[in-house]
Amino acid sequence: MKRLLPSLRAKKRYLAFELISEMPVSRSDLVKEVMSSASSLLGDVTASECDIKVLGFEDSKGIIQCSHTKVKETRASLATLIRVNGKRATVHILGTSGTIKRATEKFLQNTTFEPKIRIKSKTSEE
Amino acid sequence: MGKPKFYDFCVHAVPDGENMIEQLAALAWHLGYSGIALANHSDKLPQSQLVLPSTNEFEFFRGIELVEENPSKLHGLIGKFRKSVDVLIVHGGSETVNRAALENPRVDILNHPAFAKSSGLNQVLAKAAAENDVAIGLTIRPLLHSRGPRRVRLLSDLRSNLDLARKYDVPLVLSSDAMSCFDLRSPMETLALAEVCGLEEDEAFEAITVVPEKIISRNRHGPGYIREGIEVLKEGDYI
Repeated sequence: MKRLLPSLRAKKRYLAFELISEMPVSRSDLVKEVMSSASSLLGDVTASECDIKVLGFEDSKGIIQCSHTKVKETRASLATLIRVNGKRATVHILGTSGTIKRATEKFLQNTTFEPKIRIKSKTSEE
Repeated sequence: MGKPKFYDFCVHAVPDGENMIEQLAALAWHLGYSGIALANHSDKLPQSQLVLPSTNEFEFFRGIELVEENPSKLHGLIGKFRKSVDVLIVHGGSETVNRAALENPRVDILNHPAFAKSSGLNQVLAKAAAENDVAIGLTIRPLLHSRGPRRVRLLSDLRSNLDLARKYDVPLVLSSDAMSCFDLRSPMETLALAEVCGLEEDEAFEAITVVPEKIISRNRHGPGYIREGIEVLKEGDYI
């Protein structure tokens, strides 16, 4: 099928995010949870307008695509995500961008946070 | 104007919540908050006075969330804790408690006033809140942890409280009410969630930046403060 002209394609925003979770989670589990929390908060109609897709997810960081008019709704629905596969998790959005390239360059490189809190939680357990 | 400062005015640490205050603070700082107030429930206070870590960029406020069903005892507790805390929150949830809290100007915030079959506020209470400058605390945690009919209920309560607050000009405070690290959400996501739940953009923004700052400036005094209305000014301070 012929691809739509660039001017006719839906405009998108890309949200770079990191997942703070108890256990490492797989992409498919995350996708399931993202979708279910979106449709639970916004309802199926608005959730479909948001056009949410989890594009890449590696090392607890990734990119989510959404419609450029529904960034707020998407953020809110990602905020309501509390569990992935039964383990507690939080999505923290690092930033939004109009292109995947820029989102990756700007937000997904040289971010070093994770160890900080993990080390502390380990010491408290001892 | 510079970067806005976001505050989370209700987090619970050990022994009330699950995580240590340092962990909560590290995560809150990472998420973009400028300060948090540790507000453990008054029935689960630590044995010894907690020493709050202090840093330059990140502010800690001493807070407390009073849990008491009896109004006269509640007033007693307010008097007892008022001097030692920066933020005094009352754990709402019954008609008498809501009323007692909103009619006491020494209270800063009334959290989750809703109780069975009522949003917890009416025009009388809203007026009292505006007069005494008691803020209504909107908490995020219950919204995250419930689904379906329960969340619908919470949202409709929130909306009716919001209508009253707008009409009588009652201040609002958005807070996470976090019991653990996983209940914290970044300021931008909190704002987005609040907007989806019915707040206007500027209302939500004020509820997480301006109103908390006001509460702090009201309760933390400058060095020359003696009592209300009396202050020692240094040379050059006055014109």
